[in-house]
Amino acid sequence: MERIIEGQDIRFSYDGAEVLRGINISISKGRIIGVLGANGAGKSTLLKILCGVLNPKSGNLLYNSREIKYVDKREAAKRISYVPQNLTFGFPFTVAEVVLMGRAPYIGRFEFERETDWKVAIHAMETVGIAHLQDRLVTEISGGERQLTSLARAVAQEPEIMILDEPATFLDVKHKTEVMRLLKRLKDEKNISVVAATHDIFSVLFYFDEIILLKDGKIFAEGSPEEILKEEILTAVYEIGVTVKKENGKIFVLPME
Amino acid sequence: MKAKKKLVTSLGILFLLWIIVAVVSVFTGTYEMNPFKAIFSGDEMLRTIYFQVRIPRVLMAAVAGGTLAISGAALQALFRNPLAAPFTLGISGGASLGAIIAIRLGLGETVLGFSSITIFSFIFSIFTILFVYSVSKVHGVVATGRLLLAGVVTNFLYSALILFIQFFSDFIQSLQTIRWIMGSLDIVELGTVWKTLIFAIPGCLILLSITKDMNLFALGDDVASSLGVNVGIMEKKIYFATSLAVSAVISVTGPIGFVGLIIPHLLRMILGVDNRIILPCSFLLGASFLTAADTISRTIFTPIEIPVGIVTASCGGVFFLWLLMRMKKEIIV
Repeated sequence: MERIIEGQDIRFSYDGAEVLRGINISISKGRIIGVLGANGAGKSTLLKILCGVLNPKSGNLLYNSREIKYVDKREAAKRISYVPQNLTFGFPFTVAEVVLMGRAPYIGRFEFERETDWKVAIHAMETVGIAHLQDRLVTEISGGERQLTSLARAVAQEPEIMILDEPATFLDVKHKTEVMRLLKRLKDEKNISVVAATHDIFSVLFYFDEIILLKDGKIFAEGSPEEILKEEILTAVYEIGVTVKKENGKIFVLPME
Repeated sequence: MKAKKKLVTSLGILFLLWIIVAVVSVFTGTYEMNPFKAIFSGDEMLRTIYFQVRIPRVLMAAVAGGTLAISGAALQALFRNPLAAPFTLGISGGASLGAIIAIRLGLGETVLGFSSITIFSFIFSIFTILFVYSVSKVHGVVATGRLLLAGVVTNFLYSALILFIQFFSDFIQSLQTIRWIMGSLDIVELGTVWKTLIFAIPGCLILLSITKDMNLFALGDDVASSLGVNVGIMEKKIYFATSLAVSAVISVTGPIGFVGLIIPHLLRMILGVDNRIILPCSFLLGASFLTAADTISRTIFTPIEIPVGIVTASCGGVFFLWLLMRMKKEIIV
């Protein structure tokens, strides 16, 4: 399988406190990878390093076999898109304006969007299901709709890998499912890879190909969802008791009372 | 409307507006209301008033208003906050203190061909931006409360220092300083306009070259970075360019307040928030606004001229309060 990102012994610290303590990771084309772990396990930091927003303090990070710090930022932006956990909009832009910003890496410093950029942006909004919101201001729509707007912006970037930090936090069950289906569709149709941090251990089984389980800045376990969703592993990582049940070949995870 | 078409249309309309305001201003004043007489009669006195007093003054008003407005828009993008402006952040105060120190030290008129007053203004401006920005930005987010407080406190500090310097000045110097602090355009000749432009043009051009990055920056430091913006460099360009532009103007005119707050805000209400449109349009509307305000300040109490700073600050103060009340939806911490 073609590897896009390959990281060895990645370490990172904020003000002396070590957040990532030697992570080895490899991301292949067309895979949906979930990053799980308790709060503070280092999920967000790992994602920011993978998309080049933060530089690792030590270790190697190769992007298509080139060290990421030598990859031009704009070139990288055409291939990797990132949606953070806390969304900022700064000013009341319209939804369409935000989605069009996903085209920025393709547009020169003194150029405006071309017709093709508009087409891509509109297509991205349709894909995500927010085309009807395009003229609304981001300050006037709901938190979930803002999340979908950011997602559409990331889709409009036409990346080969999307890095999403809890993409479904503010979404209700229906929208959550739709987002996961959308990611799966992007994977199937365009061979996009997705790396998503999530707390939702229940949806993991249906949509994710691989799971990386972080604990205290290290990889505690990795593998397919079936390999990860085991009572002893989840109990160790989340520090609460869970029951994992199998019924008709499906796995259910329940908190133990 | 697509962004490009919107920009071109707005620039056209605003340029026309400026031409009208400038023409009206040139022919309005304490002396002689008849334009034709000024141009075609052989009256030397009239010609002098028009070509050596009024036209430079209108040009200076345009340069100063445009530069302050565009700097305000850029600072708002940097702070992600519509209340940021040269005046509210204490940058004007810093520039004033720098200028007054240079004047009082009696430094030579020029250093390497640049006015030493402007250079001192610039140093104090850039220091103020760096200080206020680092104080008000916590964990990558600018808190409105911290921003306003930092600006207010810096302004207090600079006022105190300016008063301190004044205290040791003689009566005439003191009077000059007070007159200058009010902000006015009445000491302008054509040479002054050029001297201002030497700094103001590069400042404005740098800001205009990064308007696209400013839009992406609105989505947060991390997203901007992931979209290809070098956030650190963009921030430094804004510090440098706004300091340059603001100090160029203020070292000549004194602190003229609130242009940088009102103009970008008015434009955003009509044109939306795209910085690629807001920045260039701010320059033109700022130019018209200050020219109009100056015309009012020259004529409202004829034959007495009041400093234009009083007119802009009184409009701006009320506007600022109104803006603050409208922002009630946002959390002010």
